[in-house]
Order: sequence, then C-alpha cells, then structure tokens
Amino acid sequence: MTLTKTRIMILLIIAIMAFVLGRLALRTILNLLLGGTLFGGNFL
Amino acid sequence: MSLKKGDRKMFIFICIMTFVVCFLLGIGSKVVLKPSWAKNDEVKMTPEVGTLYTDLSYGEKESNRFDMYLPHDQTKKHYGLVVYLHAGGFTYGDKSGDKDILSWLRFKGYVAVGINYTLFNEDNPDANVYTQSLEIKDAIPHIIEQAKQYGYSIDQMAIAGGSAGHTLAMIYAYRDAKTSPVPIQLLFGAVGPSSFYKEDWNIYGFDQNTDEARQGAAGLFSVMSGTQITSEMIQDQTYLEKVKPISALMWINEETVPSIVAYGKYDKVQPFKGSQRLLKAYQDHHVDYQYFVAEHSGHGLQNDNKIYYQYMQTVEAYLDKYIPVEESVNK
Repeated sequence: MTLTKTRIMILLIIAIMAFVLGRLALRTILNLLLGGTLFGGNFL
Repeated sequence: MSLKKGDRKMFIFICIMTFVVCFLLGIGSKVVLKPSWAKNDEVKMTPEVGTLYTDLSYGEKESNRFDMYLPHDQTKKHYGLVVYLHAGGFTYGDKSGDKDILSWLRFKGYVAVGINYTLFNEDNPDANVYTQSLEIKDAIPHIIEQAKQYGYSIDQMAIAGGSAGHTLAMIYAYRDAKTSPVPIQLLFGAVGPSSFYKEDWNIYGFDQNTDEARQGAAGLFSVMSGTQITSEMIQDQTYLEKVKPISALMWINEETVPSIVAYGKYDKVQPFKGSQRLLKAYQDHHVDYQYFVAEHSGHGLQNDNKIYYQYMQTVEAYLDKYIPVEESVNK
C-alpha cells in the first residue's frame, strides 16, 4: 500500500470515528439532562 | 528530511481538522436527520390544508390565548376537536411549538387547537398547576364557541399534550370530563406526571425517610398545587388530599376515557415510578389504555424512535376509532 493510500485510510477511519463520537456526545448530553442510556434503542 | 517533517505535520493537521469537522457533522446529523416516518407526518401550512387563526382570546390574562387550526373542508355537519397542550415544566413554552402536530391533526380533518396558559415564573408567582388546569377548563367552552362562529360545529373532543401539557390534559380528561361542553373521547400524551406520591418521586430523593426529603417534597408539591403543604402533612400522608386537584390519577374510574400514554424508563424530570402507578390505575378500573415504555430514554423519549413511532401509530388508530372524522356532506 502506498503512503497516500495509507493516509486516506487513516483519514477515513478518523472521519467515521469522529462522526460516531459526535452522535454519542450529543446523546450523552441529552441523557444527562433528560435521562437515558448511552447504547440501545436508536442506532447510536 | 525537512520536507518530510513538514509533510507529516500537515497530515496531522488534516487529521485534526477531519476529526473536528466530522465530529460536528455527527452532532448535526443527530439534530437534523429525522426518521422517514416522522417526515410523513410533517404537514406544511398551505391554504389547501386549512386556515390558522392565532392568539384568539379565552380570558383576561395575557397568556389566555389559543391558536385554532381549521380544516379546509367546511362542509361537514360536525367536527371533532383535538386540543394539544404545550410542554415546558409549567414554567415556559408556547403553543407555537406544537405547530407540526397541530397541523397534522388539522390535516386529518380535526379542528386542532393549541392553548397557552399562565406560566409559573417571576411575573406570575401565583400561577401553579391547579390555576393552569382551571384556565384550560375555562378555555374549552370559548374554543367551541369560536369554532362555531367560524362555521365548525364541534360535537366531541380529544385532549393531549407533552410533559406539563400531558399533565394538564390528563387533569382535564379525568377530573373535569363531566363539565366539558362536549364529550371527551380520548386522551393521549407523553411523560406528564399524573400523581404526587412522595415515594414515587425518587429522582429528587423524596422517597427517603428524612426531614430533608419531606421538606423537599413539601416545597415542590406546595408550589405545584398552590396550597400550603408542610413536612408534617408529608409525614402523616394528609398531603395526598391537598394534591388531589392536580393528581389526574386520583380521578381515574370506570368511566375514564380511552388513554394512550408514553413514558421514558430513565426519566430525570418526572418519575417513571409514577407512570407505573398510572398503569395500575388503568388496569384496576378497566380503562381502554395503551401504555408505552421507552426503555432507553428519559424525559424526551429521545433514544427510542421505534417506540415513539408505535405510540403515534396508536394515537392515529385510536383517533380513527373514538373520534372518527365525518364524511363530507358533498361526497
């Protein structure tokens, strides 16, 4: 795998993780205010 | 060598920026993106759908206003009225916040109404759940008369709401049903407290057998009911009679209207335990009820879209069953 391909893969993984963490962060904040579980129910 | 170092720094910078942007996109997606079924219920305000009259008066107080959503078809002999009361912890909120659900109800053929009531705040320190419930009670005859003036004769109604609005809707449906100008056929709502048994209010620690817990319960229940409740009353259980006027559950009997309710299992605002007492009251009195539990959610039912979808589907089915829209005279 070339260096460019490796870096694209790293960026893609970071993007997906950040997107998921963003959704989880908002869910956590809402759960702190209203109550609720971090996982289960809606997807993320 | 120095070029490679700079290249690596740039890549790390791009990684950080990608993380920040995608993190924000993740937050945004959770706020903006709705399930496909929710989009189906969105009804845009167009003349073909009907007419909206805002801030019609039902009393002398500044907040005694209601919005009336009238269906386009004016040819029916009678119309069902659906009142939806807004949320906001009895201290904030406005009827305009329920535009989507009121538009949907109007689209289905009902006269839909959102009512404002005097909120408990610095400007209105004497407002409480009891005075708010009396305002709702006063509003209903005015609403029916106003609809008649617009050419819509109301012969039956449903009442609903979210959170505080759900509480007020239950009080009207269960406590005031006999004084209603038209028969109440249905109640629906989510996450509204229906009773004030201190042992249920564990989320605020009122279930503890301490002076502090009793004082806390006495303070909150006094503010909500508008009557003086002391720690001693909490201790000897006499407070229950004091909170009866705002405890919808205590008015449930064999004649109670069909009811659809939804609650979040991890609610931090109002106690889920109280909703289980409500469930038992429905069962004991053989009420036609539907009780939904959002197993992963709190006060917003925010983590259980599927349950909320089932709740709304049931609301629609019960509306069709108990308050069917008449066929148009022209058909």
